[in-house]
Amino acid sequence: MQNKAKRYPGESKWKGLLYLLPALLLYLIFTFLPILETIRSSFFQAESLYGARSFVWFQNYIKLFQTSQFLSALRNNFVFIFFYSFLPISFGLFLASFLARVRVPGMRLFRTLYFIPQVLSMVVVGVMWRWMYDPNIGPINVFLRWLGLEQFAQAWLGSFTFALPAVGMAAAWVQYGFCMVLFLSGIQRIPEELYEATSLDGANAFRQFWHVTLPGLIPELSVALMTTIIAALRVFDLVFAMTKGAPGGSTEVTGLLIYRWAFELNNHSYAATMATVLTLIILLISLVIRRVFKQSEKGAL
Amino acid sequence: MKKKPFLIIFLLATIILGACQPKQSTPSEKQTLVVWDQFYRDEESKVIDQLNAEFEAKHPGVSIQREVKVLEDLSLTVKLALANEDGPDVAQVNQGRVDMGALVKDGLLLSLDDYAKQYKWNERFPGTLLARNSFSEDGKQFGTGHIYGVSPTAEVVGVYYNKSMFAQHGWAVPTSFDEFLDLLAKIYEAGIVPISFGSLDGWNAIHLFSAIQHLHVSREYIDDFVYSRNDVSFDTEFNLKALYQFYDWVKLDYFTPNFQGIGYDASNESFKKGEAALTITGSWLAPELLTGTDQTFGFFLLPGYEEQQALAIGGLGIPFSIRATTEKKDLAAEYIDWMVSERAAELWADAGMVPAMPLPKKYKLQNDTLFADTVEAWQNINANNLVGHYIDWATPTMYDRLVFWLQRLLSFVSTPEEFIIGISQEYEDWKPYQQ
Repeated sequence: MQNKAKRYPGESKWKGLLYLLPALLLYLIFTFLPILETIRSSFFQAESLYGARSFVWFQNYIKLFQTSQFLSALRNNFVFIFFYSFLPISFGLFLASFLARVRVPGMRLFRTLYFIPQVLSMVVVGVMWRWMYDPNIGPINVFLRWLGLEQFAQAWLGSFTFALPAVGMAAAWVQYGFCMVLFLSGIQRIPEELYEATSLDGANAFRQFWHVTLPGLIPELSVALMTTIIAALRVFDLVFAMTKGAPGGSTEVTGLLIYRWAFELNNHSYAATMATVLTLIILLISLVIRRVFKQSEKGAL
Repeated sequence: MKKKPFLIIFLLATIILGACQPKQSTPSEKQTLVVWDQFYRDEESKVIDQLNAEFEAKHPGVSIQREVKVLEDLSLTVKLALANEDGPDVAQVNQGRVDMGALVKDGLLLSLDDYAKQYKWNERFPGTLLARNSFSEDGKQFGTGHIYGVSPTAEVVGVYYNKSMFAQHGWAVPTSFDEFLDLLAKIYEAGIVPISFGSLDGWNAIHLFSAIQHLHVSREYIDDFVYSRNDVSFDTEFNLKALYQFYDWVKLDYFTPNFQGIGYDASNESFKKGEAALTITGSWLAPELLTGTDQTFGFFLLPGYEEQQALAIGGLGIPFSIRATTEKKDLAAEYIDWMVSERAAELWADAGMVPAMPLPKKYKLQNDTLFADTVEAWQNINANNLVGHYIDWATPTMYDRLVFWLQRLLSFVSTPEEFIIGISQEYEDWKPYQQ
């Protein structure tokens, strides 16, 4: 495999860099520098909004890990991983393998429809699902009552047991289309001969899925896992639009806490600390996923 | 290949033109006053536009550049904007320590004491009301010190009732708390939801509890609690009593079914449609209940016990403040004075909002209308010094904690005693930081 890009004789090798430069500058100024500044802020503490800051070493971090509020918010983020990652990936895999192997009329329409939730702004999704969960006029409870299952119709977003899963389901609804489209394109990459070979050996649909489809989808699985897990840990707008952490903090996530500390309590340094810790956790998980999937990729081939 | 350079030039041109702002030629006498407000609702916004137009007519050469945002957005951006030289000259700043107090601490707001004397604001508003927009210069003491904001509107929390429903069932407006409890029982027996309520948004639950709490507290206690004076505590018998009263209503099913999952706007919509007899919230809702419904509504203050004067949650609306670094201080003060003038009071009243300043004597209030009810309620508590407080002003995180504990209480996850302990703990923990 050739790694070197073809270059015309006499072409300067800096030409490529020049094309990258504007985007790189934008990235540096609007993304990288603010990230550095945020990390730097986490080592200070200020008395007021614009007051002088004093360097406090790691005090903010120590304080952070002693607050149960942060740890329970983190726990909620990890619960979200089930709804952002596990559910959409499983369902997406199932849908993709079904749609790829069975010629369904109007498949393109299905792909578009299932992908539409991804296109919506998360605030719109939040407002919409908030209405869906309305205990008296929301479609979910109306449907349950119509089925005669009144005892299940409850105040979803106001319940200490169901609020978090309710918000999670809205998230799953957004993510599964993305996973499905990703896996569909991945399956189309798998050579047809492999399926022919396995069916000649007498493998049924399930074994084909397990031994041909899944290993072939490892790159897509890695991308899907990383994207969805990061989304689960970063979530803010969906929770803000649906419950703002209600009831009683049971849907509170780290994104909400960061917002609250920075903008409602005017403590930017503490919020910066939270943001830095969250970023580190995300980085760590991403590295772990990459490692695990690198090994699998080598094994599959 | 020939098209490539053209494309690049085209793209560059678009970028450069987009970045260039055409410079507006300003005549030397023309002044622009930049004002940020949060009166985004239709009826309110029209009042501001009208007042701005009349101000410009009275001051040739002055043009007002208005920017209107929802209160949440305004609170976020105004903190940044007021530190800027290009920021608004006049802006509405939310009361309390988190917003106004924080800005005062950083010296970003202009002290309005001198203007208050000049324009006689301390005659138009009683001192106890002006105190709500006052802080000491270092921002640490609340309810005393210098005046940093002036409010054009007033608010009072009370009970809205469906007049048509009352007439239909022969119910009367109660004059004591016991009568109110009887009324609730009667409404419940008639198969109608007594109080339209939804606790999903949290803050209106604070009002509901606190409205009952206000019937049990003394003037001094509620002032001391909110302003953090005289070392008072939340762990008191009367607070617990008020909480139990609220808790009883939950257990007696006096609120909208499944209220834990219903938001503030949804519960108001439901009340407007006639699905409940009462709702307890502030006078700010009145304009919405005047349009888009065939029901008629009235408003009354939550009646108290006979032995005790009943305070009611209320106060001034979001005030106007002046940026400390503005060059147009006098013009800004004149603008604020215009916003709390008799003409402004007239326009607010026409729009159905209770003005903070007294109405012009010749203004005719239509009796027995919803608006007249709210004005009467406000004038009543104002004249008798019964204007209460929003208890979430007590500490920067009090709003958060109150919502947290109330939602736990309303879902029976916590008991009233745990609520009291939780909030007292929050209050006590914060006191040391005050020093």
